Amino acid sequence: MSPSETVAFHRELERVLELHRPKPGEPANILRTLIAVQRALGYVPANAIGPVAEELQVPEAHVAGVLSYYPDLHAAPRGRRVVRVCLGEACVANRSPAVVAEVQRILGIGIGETTKDGRTTLERVYCLGNCGVGPTVMIDETIYGRVCPLDMEKVLRQVDDRPV
Amino acid sequence: MTVTIYLSNDTSAKAAGADRLAAAWADVPDVHVVRTSSRGAFFLEPLVERDGPTGRLLWPRAKSEDLTRICNGAGGIALADVPFLAQQPRAVFARFGTAQPLSLEEYRAHGGWLGCERANDLPSEAVIAEMKSSGLRGRGGAAFPVWHKWEAARQHSADQKYVVANADEGDAGTYCDRMIMEGEPFRLIEGMLICAKAIGADRGYIYCRWEYPAAAVTMQAAIGEAERAGLLTIDKRPFRLEVFRGAGSYVCGEETALLSSLEGGRGMVKVRPPYPAEAGLYGKPTVVSNVLTFATVAEIMARGADWHAALGTEGSKGLMALQLGGRIRQPGLVEIPFGATLADVLERFGGGMVEGSRFKAVQVGGPLGSLFPESQL
Repeated sequence: MSPSETVAFHRELERVLELHRPKPGEPANILRTLIAVQRALGYVPANAIGPVAEELQVPEAHVAGVLSYYPDLHAAPRGRRVVRVCLGEACVANRSPAVVAEVQRILGIGIGETTKDGRTTLERVYCLGNCGVGPTVMIDETIYGRVCPLDMEKVLRQVDDRPV
Repeated sequence: MTVTIYLSNDTSAKAAGADRLAAAWADVPDVHVVRTSSRGAFFLEPLVERDGPTGRLLWPRAKSEDLTRICNGAGGIALADVPFLAQQPRAVFARFGTAQPLSLEEYRAHGGWLGCERANDLPSEAVIAEMKSSGLRGRGGAAFPVWHKWEAARQHSADQKYVVANADEGDAGTYCDRMIMEGEPFRLIEGMLICAKAIGADRGYIYCRWEYPAAAVTMQAAIGEAERAGLLTIDKRPFRLEVFRGAGSYVCGEETALLSSLEGGRGMVKVRPPYPAEAGLYGKPTVVSNVLTFATVAEIMARGADWHAALGTEGSKGLMALQLGGRIRQPGLVEIPFGATLADVLERFGGGMVEGSRFKAVQVGGPLGSLFPESQL
């Protein structure tokens, strides 16, 4: 981070913490605070742990412990868009592994990886409750159903055309 | 004359193309599209409906070019002619597919808040007695008698008690809780209010997994609507209800882990006793039940315990929501009384295997469930 980026980062972090400060009489909530930080910054960088701990008046180890526990809290930056393919039983029965393979081929990355341009991260997910119309793919918060591998190129292109 | 067309707003209906139809027809003159909950017959989605002379007419797997046909009333199928739906004596899901999820007026018109109103007129003990004689057991998997938890929480005096809805529906293949939150959010709120009345709680949380973004948004909106209408009260005291989003931990579906997570910590499982009904959230008496359980509570209070106790089997009273998925022709939600065999359910509702696929086994439950080969159905 350059000095100006560091200043901007701390200003944004301060804003989020201020916004989510527990009301008087309410206990501090580490998870809720980290979700808010991640929503604002895209991930929870290591240098946010100190300020969060200080704000909530809890040990830094507690904050780091919560951060490392939850699969959907991320300590490293990810792609601006996240593509998730469901590998729950119902979707697997409906051939979702072939969808994963096709997305990997199109993007040129493996599961858990991000494209070199920082645009897209590929993840797997276990059930989005969309089993009635699987196989399922989730791109950011949009859920696609009855996806077949041949559709994926078109779906990803449509998403690419949307403004970030 | 304006034609009113019903189209589900459920996540799976959208994923199957309901939004595309709604967008294509948005500017068509004299066509009014109303977004409703889903019937759960997902193999028919996107499903278009219209009011007919004797109930709804259905146009399954509709395409945008079907609009003229639909407007002319050509080719609509009566609900009674869809065996998947006609063969289900539904209760909690009886009104699904008909009403707008966030319309308090429509919820009330379909019998909503009757359970809550009845509970309000009864002493706490009588509400718990009603749960006891209904035979209701938790629908989240452990099948613990609901009245037992409530009685323990009621008897423990404390300055603060909590009602928590477990909406961390993490077992792969399940989606009935998601459908309730997206389709009839007021039913969950109603069930939680009845529980709050019974145990003397004035705060509640809905712990919703992040994988259900639409459910969390709908619940949040429904809480706002209920609050504005003055409905979030028990015994003339305000009931504070919040949605809390999880962060992807499967373990947090277990109640003690869920409570640790709700407190903001790691989702660590604790040894019981003490049970949450004695020492739960922040060490206070807490009733944790899953979404379908609370929805059933509202139904029992509205219809009476005897209605529920007369259904199902000796050990499992009432109806159960089954969710069929996998390589079958008719995936979807089936709500029938306890007691059917897997073979029976598959035969009546499953519709057989998708062409070119061979039956291997039925998996019941999620990762911790069991596999049943054909010989054990």
